[in-house]
Amino acid sequence: MFLFILKRLAQIIPVILGVTLVVFLIMQMVPGDPAAILAGEGASQETIEQYREDLGLNRPVVEQYLSYVGNVFQGDLGNSLKNKQPVLDEILLRLPITMELAFYSILITIVLGLAAGIISAVKPYSVRDVSVMVIALLGISLPSFWLGLLLMYLFSVKLQWLPVAGWDGPLNIILPALTLGVGGAAIVARMTRSSMLDVIGQDYIRTARAKGLKEHFVIYKHALRNALIPVITVVGLQFGSLLGGTVLVESVFAINGLGRMIVDAIRTRDLPMVQGGVLVASLVFVFVNLLVDVMYRAVNKRIDLN
Amino acid sequence: MDKEIVLQVKNLKTHFTTSKGTAKAVDGVDFTLHKGETLGIVGESGCGKSITSLSLLRLIPTPPGKIVAGEILLNNKDIVKMKEEELRKVRGNQLSMIFQEPMTSLNPIIPVGEQIAETIRLHQRLPRKQAWQKAVDLLEMVGLPSPEKRAKQEPFQLSGGMRQRVMIAMALACTPEVLIADEPTTALDVTIQAQILELMKDLQKQIGMSIIFITHDLGVVSEVCDQVAVMYAGQVVEHRNAKDLFKTPLHPYTQGLLASLPNIHENQQELQTIEGSVPSPYDYPIGCRFADRCPHARDICRAEAPDLIETGNSDTKVRCFMHTEKWETSVKEEELVCP
Repeated sequence: MFLFILKRLAQIIPVILGVTLVVFLIMQMVPGDPAAILAGEGASQETIEQYREDLGLNRPVVEQYLSYVGNVFQGDLGNSLKNKQPVLDEILLRLPITMELAFYSILITIVLGLAAGIISAVKPYSVRDVSVMVIALLGISLPSFWLGLLLMYLFSVKLQWLPVAGWDGPLNIILPALTLGVGGAAIVARMTRSSMLDVIGQDYIRTARAKGLKEHFVIYKHALRNALIPVITVVGLQFGSLLGGTVLVESVFAINGLGRMIVDAIRTRDLPMVQGGVLVASLVFVFVNLLVDVMYRAVNKRIDLN
Repeated sequence: MDKEIVLQVKNLKTHFTTSKGTAKAVDGVDFTLHKGETLGIVGESGCGKSITSLSLLRLIPTPPGKIVAGEILLNNKDIVKMKEEELRKVRGNQLSMIFQEPMTSLNPIIPVGEQIAETIRLHQRLPRKQAWQKAVDLLEMVGLPSPEKRAKQEPFQLSGGMRQRVMIAMALACTPEVLIADEPTTALDVTIQAQILELMKDLQKQIGMSIIFITHDLGVVSEVCDQVAVMYAGQVVEHRNAKDLFKTPLHPYTQGLLASLPNIHENQQELQTIEGSVPSPYDYPIGCRFADRCPHARDICRAEAPDLIETGNSDTKVRCFMHTEKWETSVKEEELVCP
């Protein structure tokens, strides 16, 4: 187990290289000159050149990349082009907000998804099952930015139960977390249902019933734990798309998290900021996946991690 | 004979409703199990013996399956009529079951000791520690080496024979009155088969339980069974003392089954078979279900369905007109038709 975790942590190095390279190349290819944007509209060519030199953007691309990666491995993510502040400071300020949002969202994904999946699977093809699955289908189909606006309109504007936007208190968390979590919950629900149905048809469930166990023991002790194995994988993957979703949801709900920081940075072509943000988000994803694998092993000892 | 009856099944019918119609998998099964005895239920694949065994514990998935008629009397209480709660107290306690596939019949992610202990906790209300100790003792009783270590392992760490021993330990955890063993040795190789059979016989003596042994293997039947019920097309066609059955089979189907066994003393080039095939459970003939394959069949066999009736003594029952008075008259009729 220890060796496995060590091995997986070592994989972070190629991840850093890959992520920085891809982001770097994309930012080179997108139209728009950071120096020109920083200098402002109508700035003279000299001013723009001056900016370019100050920021080191006049150096060859390869050199820029290598020096950036070198700094990253020393824990320096560079300074923002816009306000000259260290990127790391800004990220450390924003990351907890996004992590909190992600935590509650994934909680909603897991709790709502599992509950719906189990409810469906216990009585397959019943009215209850069909209605839950139709709702799940809707949950998968609705794009999160639209769902966010819809929820905002209903609960904040019409009913006035919850704040429209911002990140000031616990009430602020509800709508964005719902928006982010619901899509994943729908996927988890469908996965849980099919996995449960598969498990309930297995011989060992019949054995459990033959022992005289109560039905809820059969479902929760014997069936659910087996059914969870594929669901854990899906939850891990969902966390990835959830991180991507924070970019949209933080923008819709005006939350100053990592996602919104990246969007703003892209708009101003603030290369170090974009790179830092994406890098940290990727690392979070790597850690979550590591966690998923460890959990996988805890549920199912047959899996040999090495 | 005045042996105590533990389990009596009367006219049991378990049907399955599918898109193709109604499959009468079990269609009027009768048998009697005495205390301390082993009853073998034999028959070829698809004759309804496994469905019968699952019906006894009401483990038939509903839908599509349903027990549509009959009685399953365990100590004179009808299992068919029991409420869920009552049924659960019987399952695994008075009536328990060993399944055919030890590979898939144990939960893959729960330690085997726990799978046994939970039954004990459930039915005997023992505290956790004592139940675990009892599970370990049971594993020792069924001959699992280093039971304390094995109890903590999960099924994938055990071989097929070991798993079947675990299944037996689980089934015996609450010293049931009746143990249903559905082809418990079919999935095991021959040496392990012999060990498991030996083990079951030993434990039966120790505990004094009755066993229903479901199998298609007549060799196993002759080894372990006191009584035999031969099933064909969802019905019992012959229900007798095992020794008598092997000596003088009464029903033509039983005769065919025994004749098809290879004999080690003769140098047979070809194995005997029973001509024809089993009728579809969706569409049984009106008359005797074996008539089309029976070398003795007459008009009456196709016109009327024979009942399972006693011949000679109360221990011998057979479902065939050959052993009724009608047979003699039917001969005459036939002679009249075709002289």
